Amino acid sequence: MNKIMYLEFERCIGCRACQAACRECGDHDAKERNYVEHVDFMESRQTFPMMCMQCKDPACARVCPANAIQITEEGVVLSASEEKCIGCRNCTFGCPFGIPKFDFEQNKMYKCDMCYDRSKHDIAPMCASVCPSDAIRFIDFDEMQSLRRRRTQMNLVEGKKPTEQDKWKYVPEFFGVYSD
Amino acid sequence: MTEFIAKPGVKNLKHEGEKLITTHCSYCGMQCGMHIRVSEKTGKIKGVEPRYDWPVTLGKLCPKGVTAYQQIDHPDRIKRPLIKKKGRFVESSWEEALSLIEKKFTELQDKHGKDSLSVFGGVSMTNEKCYLVGKYARVALGTRFLDYNGRFCMSSAAGGFMKTFGMDRGSTLPWTELEHSDCFLIAGSNTAECHPTSIQMFWKARDKGAKMIVVDPRETPTARIADVHLDLLPGTDSALANGLLHLLIKEDFVDKEYVENRCNNFEELKASVEPFTPEYTSQLTGVDKNKIIKAARIYGSSPRSVVMFARGVEQQSKGVDNVTLYTSLALLRGQIGKFASGVATFTGQGNGQGGREHGQKSDLLPGYRKITDPEAVKYISGVWGIDPEEMPKAGVSAFEMFDEIHKGTIRAMHVVCSNPAVSAPDAEYVWEAFKKLDFLVVNDFFLSETAEFADVVLPTTTWAEDEGTTTNLEGRVIRIRKSIEPLHESKTDWQIFKEIAARLGKGKHFDYSSPREIFEEFRLATKGGKADYSGITYERIDKEDGVFWPCPSEDHPGTPTVFKETFATPNGKANLPAVSWQEPDETPSEEFPIRLTTGRVVFHYLSGNQTRRIDFLMEQCPVPFAEMHPELASRYNMQDGEKIRVTTPRSTMELEVRLTKATRNDIIFVPYHWGKELAVNKLTNAALDPTSRMPEFKVCAARIEKLEQKAGH
Repeated sequence: MNKIMYLEFERCIGCRACQAACRECGDHDAKERNYVEHVDFMESRQTFPMMCMQCKDPACARVCPANAIQITEEGVVLSASEEKCIGCRNCTFGCPFGIPKFDFEQNKMYKCDMCYDRSKHDIAPMCASVCPSDAIRFIDFDEMQSLRRRRTQMNLVEGKKPTEQDKWKYVPEFFGVYSD
Repeated sequence: MTEFIAKPGVKNLKHEGEKLITTHCSYCGMQCGMHIRVSEKTGKIKGVEPRYDWPVTLGKLCPKGVTAYQQIDHPDRIKRPLIKKKGRFVESSWEEALSLIEKKFTELQDKHGKDSLSVFGGVSMTNEKCYLVGKYARVALGTRFLDYNGRFCMSSAAGGFMKTFGMDRGSTLPWTELEHSDCFLIAGSNTAECHPTSIQMFWKARDKGAKMIVVDPRETPTARIADVHLDLLPGTDSALANGLLHLLIKEDFVDKEYVENRCNNFEELKASVEPFTPEYTSQLTGVDKNKIIKAARIYGSSPRSVVMFARGVEQQSKGVDNVTLYTSLALLRGQIGKFASGVATFTGQGNGQGGREHGQKSDLLPGYRKITDPEAVKYISGVWGIDPEEMPKAGVSAFEMFDEIHKGTIRAMHVVCSNPAVSAPDAEYVWEAFKKLDFLVVNDFFLSETAEFADVVLPTTTWAEDEGTTTNLEGRVIRIRKSIEPLHESKTDWQIFKEIAARLGKGKHFDYSSPREIFEEFRLATKGGKADYSGITYERIDKEDGVFWPCPSEDHPGTPTVFKETFATPNGKANLPAVSWQEPDETPSEEFPIRLTTGRVVFHYLSGNQTRRIDFLMEQCPVPFAEMHPELASRYNMQDGEKIRVTTPRSTMELEVRLTKATRNDIIFVPYHWGKELAVNKLTNAALDPTSRMPEFKVCAARIEKLEQKAGH
């Protein structure tokens, strides 16, 4: 699998189709594993999606005493295996992004597995498939890189130049950020 | 017949033991493409699979679309016909229900005349069914009282387009072109919530640098990122559009050649917009005059632009005027009939476009023919096999039918595919009307608030249990496929019409065995009309990704862009309007000092009869709320989450406060998808547009009060 999940938070319109779609994935037990949140509804309607980062060396798996969180050969960090999960919730505390969810009734964690039944065939996960604003995309690694280059380029086209103090501004935003 | 269509190279996940049926969503006018997963063994519905290769929506779905399939095999489905006996519904046989309908209908018509019956239609169903509603009312029942819920949804857009262009196709361009446009002027549309899958087109255009001007009292997700957000007071669209027209003329943005060759009335328009200086416009609309000037300059200088609008401008007592004025912006810029430019309305209902063209409206016959035109009556009578003398005259609009009930003219009603107990304004008046009826029949698959008033409820199928065509918001005719056989004892609406017609001795006019047979007759009925579908076949739709009407013959390619050379008016030129300023029907007063506006949320569709039964959607938005600015709340010492009372001259209700600064500080907004004590339509004003007879849902005057704290709470 040479595809990656690509998020552009500022494109999100808060419709939560990704969450509805997450429940539709065959292995998801009709429970969503992703998040859509308002940045601050009192101030604006801006929302953003959040989902598993599929870390290379995932904290959730590292802190799991039961070795319940498996990583596939493609690098997908799976949800806890039913038989192994002991319900200690270490993963929920360990994850720096607050991703793993906990089912208190069944005493087990569950999390995004990038719709492994789809993504292993290079078919987009449900959330990325339905996202009407392309805030969540399932794209080739090369396309991701060109998108990132394009963000920087657009800033340069608009006559802005990075300095040591604000160079970080030149990486993330393309969509929704225009000339001053 | 192929059930599954996918282009070469497109990968879909096919679960073992399942098949995919290619179709479209049941909800809004986007008609997003989808495949429905069906178990090969049991025939049960299993879920949804994105249709990545549907060119309009590319597999995208909103949360309603994702969960649409959950309506089909839902525990709340009405399984057998229900007859109200001693105030309670009792399950009965079709034979008993239909016999009762036959008896009641015949009795009432014998006693009070043909027009004592009425039909209230809807457009969240296929063209085949919509077409048959009109024929059922006029041929089987022989009544002139026929109208449909598009009066609450699309009729102002239709009226405005008819007036301006002489033809009403919701979009003058195919939406696949939107990403190539340079500027969007979007008025009265909360696009991100009401037509979410269209956002991909706007965002793509945005990536390429397209400008965006959004007209809305609330800072919606589209308004938030707009280059200019014109945050007008609800009900002041005609002033704002006049102000923009004033600036286009004054600052010389008019495409003079286009206007000269293709428009009537320019001088009149020029004179009428003269008083609308930025200062005056700002005073009427409450929008900063610099923002109005900035918007006019961006719009005026964009080479390719699209003006788009929705219920926000249409659901007003000046809805038609608003539509003609916004449309004129595109005309003055010479945008209509060209690539990636034009004008469009966001059609609300699934088949809001097709359903309004083919004779469900009180004054229309199939093919957008006028019932007042003797030639049209003659032609359609020929297709239907009746004597032109038998054709009923024009009736009255949807809301006015309730007046007729109160007057005692209409004694019985057959409601099909609609829930006016929630969707009509001044709801308590409508509920009283339902109670007053001698006999009410409702076709539905869930027991809607309207169905609860009924004497007989007939269980219909959902969209996935029948086949047919719909027309999406572009004017593209597409195919709905049958995924499963009708569940329980439900029947399709067309079968119900057929059986009632047969009992009333009109069986020979309804001798259909499949939707395809209806479609063939329907094609003939539209032939030669403005909305000509006669060249469209089911096979062509599959082969060509849908066909755009007008399509007058099978070798005609269809018409993705309309008005390329000429308009459909008598002299081929578009009519520019001349509209002076007029306040909304109800303006704030000392007693009712605040403007109340209503609208939608992304999680619900129309009256909510479907979406309020879907778990995911109800978890996200279970009840209506009163959204307001913290500044307004502070004036009344109201807190976020607190219960308040909202009152208008018609009624009162309690709602929870939701605070956000992303709205004007002098309005409250309440979504309308709920019934009974949660229905904000109890409060809305039924003032009708003089042309389209569309009620003014979008603005009325209200009072808000803090509820007294109960001790111990």
